[in-house]
Amino acid sequence: MRVINMFAEVDPGKCTGCRICEKVCPTVSIKIEGKKKGKATIDLKTCVGCGACSERCQFGAVVLRNLQQPRTIRVELGRVNPKKISDLCLKAKLHPQQVVCFCTGTRAEEVAAAILLGASSPEEISRTVGARTGCKVECIQPILRLLVAAGKELKPVENGWQWYGLTPTIWDIPDSVMKKYASRGFYFKEDRELFAKLLEAETEGGG
Amino acid sequence: MTPEFKDPVKPLPPKPSRYGPEPENIKIRASDLKGVVSVGVRDLFSDFPPNIYPSTKGIKAVREATVDALSEVDMSMIESGDSVNILGSHHGFTILGGEPYAEMIKAIRDVLIERTGTEDVRLRAGVGLRFRESDEYIERFGLDKYFDGKAKGVAPIDEGIPIQTEIGTLYGIKKCYDSDWIVHAHNSDVREIHFHRHVDRAVKPFGMSYARLETRSTYHHNLGPRGANFAARAIFNSDFVQKKWTFASFLKPTPAGIAGVDADNDLFALDQRLSIDNFRYYGKILTLLSRIDECVAVLDFQAPIPYVFSAGMIFANFTASSLDIFDLDHPLPGYTWYTESFYGRDEKPLIPDVAPVNPAIKVIVINYAWGGYPSVFWAKSIPTIVVGEWQAEVFRRDPQNVEFMKHALIAEDLETGVEMAMRIAGTDKMIAFDGAPGAMNVSKSLASDLIRMAPEVGGDVERQLLPKWCRQRGIALGEDADVGAK
Repeated sequence: MRVINMFAEVDPGKCTGCRICEKVCPTVSIKIEGKKKGKATIDLKTCVGCGACSERCQFGAVVLRNLQQPRTIRVELGRVNPKKISDLCLKAKLHPQQVVCFCTGTRAEEVAAAILLGASSPEEISRTVGARTGCKVECIQPILRLLVAAGKELKPVENGWQWYGLTPTIWDIPDSVMKKYASRGFYFKEDRELFAKLLEAETEGGG
Repeated sequence: MTPEFKDPVKPLPPKPSRYGPEPENIKIRASDLKGVVSVGVRDLFSDFPPNIYPSTKGIKAVREATVDALSEVDMSMIESGDSVNILGSHHGFTILGGEPYAEMIKAIRDVLIERTGTEDVRLRAGVGLRFRESDEYIERFGLDKYFDGKAKGVAPIDEGIPIQTEIGTLYGIKKCYDSDWIVHAHNSDVREIHFHRHVDRAVKPFGMSYARLETRSTYHHNLGPRGANFAARAIFNSDFVQKKWTFASFLKPTPAGIAGVDADNDLFALDQRLSIDNFRYYGKILTLLSRIDECVAVLDFQAPIPYVFSAGMIFANFTASSLDIFDLDHPLPGYTWYTESFYGRDEKPLIPDVAPVNPAIKVIVINYAWGGYPSVFWAKSIPTIVVGEWQAEVFRRDPQNVEFMKHALIAEDLETGVEMAMRIAGTDKMIAFDGAPGAMNVSKSLASDLIRMAPEVGGDVERQLLPKWCRQRGIALGEDADVGAK
């Protein structure tokens, strides 16, 4: 769930058409029309006011403005069978109620519900539940894990920098690596047991 | 015997930033409040090393210490005409106003040019979650001019580069690695113990400031609360990074000031040295803070909520300290992102291993802080009072804190806010996280507690905790120190 209270606005006089804002927008709401001297245009229907564009614009051409009527985006969990939500989360080795986006408070279950209702990319998930639109950094991996668990093919935005790919989890670390660094303070074995306990904690959908 | 209290130490004046309120709104600081006194770090713990800064030598002392530390470092791999990226991070610029860190970076550049003959030396300064923060420091300290236009802030959403590691593919920021060689210019203070758990502290920026968002998400979601910083080690150890690696130069703060500069070609050897120092000095401050029984915390510094300081310790560490957060036997301190993610819909932990947010912090009063870090968790966990509409508006306009003010009250001024907080808390003990150098600004009641508790804390750290913390990380104390453990 995400309350949207801002939107991005481009000053065409300052925009150089460098395309950086287009490459970093997590909801793919920015387009530069034309190959030369194009200006950024923002689709306000999908812009969530995350500020990635204004933060990376080197020319001060994008600013965030207050939205007169804030709106909320969310996926109602009641629209999806709780068992299916739970199964998908656990397959991704996430507890359904685990928070995956610290900025919006989005839990794995809401992302899973969005996927089960048809979202097939991080961009679509951001547009429907708002995750990835606060800090734009920390929540990409659990989202990718849920998409992969649902059998979705991961396709980064062409020429975009939004995200590149899935990375290892604690479950992927080879025993040899765990053993090699155990005496250096990396408590992988113990942390694996912790995650296992989390996954065994009760969920609404069973499991 | 009644202890003698000192006048409060004045914090640095507010600084303009796109992440904070307009400085002119911050008229009264915690240190201006009636009854606030300061407790000098050295008055609590007499074994802290002397400062090179602040000192009578001024900023020149940092340059001299840098040149001296680098004199023992091998730079022979760099040839005239090679390109070198000095990699830095935003945090160094928040220590004692930022000038010491900026001066160390300038000195590294000058030594590199003098010793290697190359003139293509660049600065790449990474950030946390405020993507323009380092650009602000580059401008403030004239670094772009100093680097002939080759100083840039870099962010985790900038173009990336895949890096093959022993656990799989991770991603770095391309601009950090667009040179023949890299130099790691950082600071040794503990900073986010709750995240890195002081395991490979010196290596962390390779998994954070110099890393893409995929890696940072791996750190905070995939590897576990005690394995998180392995993302950094995996990248640092990669062939890709090792082929570009030269040396590290670290500014060495203690809670009392800047103690020096350390440099080494062997990052793990440097890490072990700084770990022992940090356990000894920051360990005492944090252990002391963790023994406070009750207090109101006033946040009053130009940084986001978790990064405001008191005696060199960031507020996030204090909120995590319902238990000993250096102790790796504890999986989930009162605050980490793993901790936060393990709270269910009913705002209760999903498993019993989650430690509570430090229950000694009864109320938070935010007089001055930035946005740019997801902070709703604290406002939900601890009653929070925000001083002034201008400060509330910082949070409302921050995409990372859109709902923060739903969980906080607004006071018209600091005096009213603190008075209200003390009534709610039922205590007159107050601590300011205002970045005052070398001291803690606190109420007299808390000052008395700190002075009374410090000797026992010092003994406990030296005799029990320091050896345990070292043992857990494979660090040997004394002459047989197992340095260079890769």
